[in-house]
Amino acid sequence: VPCVSGDLPKPTNVTFISINMKNILQWNSPEGLQGVEVSYTVQYFIYGQKKWLNKSECRNISRTYCDLSAETSDYEHQYYAKVKAMWGTNCSKWAETGRFYPFLETQIGPPEVALTTDEKSISIVLTAPKKWKKNPEESSISMQQIYSNLKYNVSIYNTKSNRTWSQCVTNHTLVFNWLEPDTLYCVRVESFVPGPPRLAHPSERQCVSTLEDQTIALEVK
Amino acid sequence: QEFQFGPCRVEGVVLQKLWQAFWAMKDIVQAQDNITSVRLLRKEVLHNVSETESCHLIHALLRFYVNTVFKLYHDKAAEFGVLKSFSALANNFFVIVSKLQASQEKMFSTHESARRRFLLFYRAFKQLDRESAVTKAFGEMDILLSWMEKFYQL
Repeated sequence: VPCVSGDLPKPTNVTFISINMKNILQWNSPEGLQGVEVSYTVQYFIYGQKKWLNKSECRNISRTYCDLSAETSDYEHQYYAKVKAMWGTNCSKWAETGRFYPFLETQIGPPEVALTTDEKSISIVLTAPKKWKKNPEESSISMQQIYSNLKYNVSIYNTKSNRTWSQCVTNHTLVFNWLEPDTLYCVRVESFVPGPPRLAHPSERQCVSTLEDQTIALEVK
Repeated sequence: QEFQFGPCRVEGVVLQKLWQAFWAMKDIVQAQDNITSVRLLRKEVLHNVSETESCHLIHALLRFYVNTVFKLYHDKAAEFGVLKSFSALANNFFVIVSKLQASQEKMFSTHESARRRFLLFYRAFKQLDRESAVTKAFGEMDILLSWMEKFYQL
């Protein structure tokens, strides 16, 4: 049943939230209609093509987000999306995003971080984050394959001296030497790609203790 | 830090600054482009460009941006209050074009395919009215910079 367009206020803050090419369209419910049973319908558009396209799983939905990852998976294209609110026979005008360019705007998630310790050193092995994939059975694509210039900002914090070092690396293994024995260190790693500014996504803080200094340990015996 | 478009090298340009400048104006500029059914820098223009071809193509594109797009968009940039970012981009593009000019003169290979690619872009540009075309070309600078980034070495 066609609705009367424009009688409802539009949804607000319609935007893509994108991490590792998982592209979620989200919005706020229209002003003044919080708590009212409003439903939403979403469409998307590929820049340079002709028609707005429907997303069937996001027709007449009550939630305020819609996963458009599959529809926007060609990250070298640019996209628009729009959403309208409906309530009974009334509906709002469309509320539209700006031009969304996944290749430039997706946030790069943190790498996996593996730590091993010695008396005075910590070895760190990084594994690049994985690109979103439609089916779990599909083979994984590393974000490194998409961004050959992917780098990592590694910071290490000495919990005893409260000092922090940071190092920008491109390779996946690094060793912090000249550390203090028997000391708790915490590591945090952030991926980044040169180019337009992107929101950062640091890894969880991981803490590990360097081993006791064996020479002292022997003397004590 | 330099661009390496096949045999053509361009030093002294900090690509990060171009990104920052464009990103400061991206939303304003792209919001003015209402002809979303047309993309000037289509995949056929920029995909699978060979190394030697890249110098010819980037030179043709940037020369067009400097001589036409920037020239005609200046007043709009002033109107939108983004003249500082606009000038940063224009000056850097001008530097790249002049340095490419020197490299190009030493190149003897003619590249019909680079010319064909540029003409794809140019014909699409010409099919729009001038103001819309300039706004669209300026709004697609993220596509151009993304392509240029592939030839940039830190």
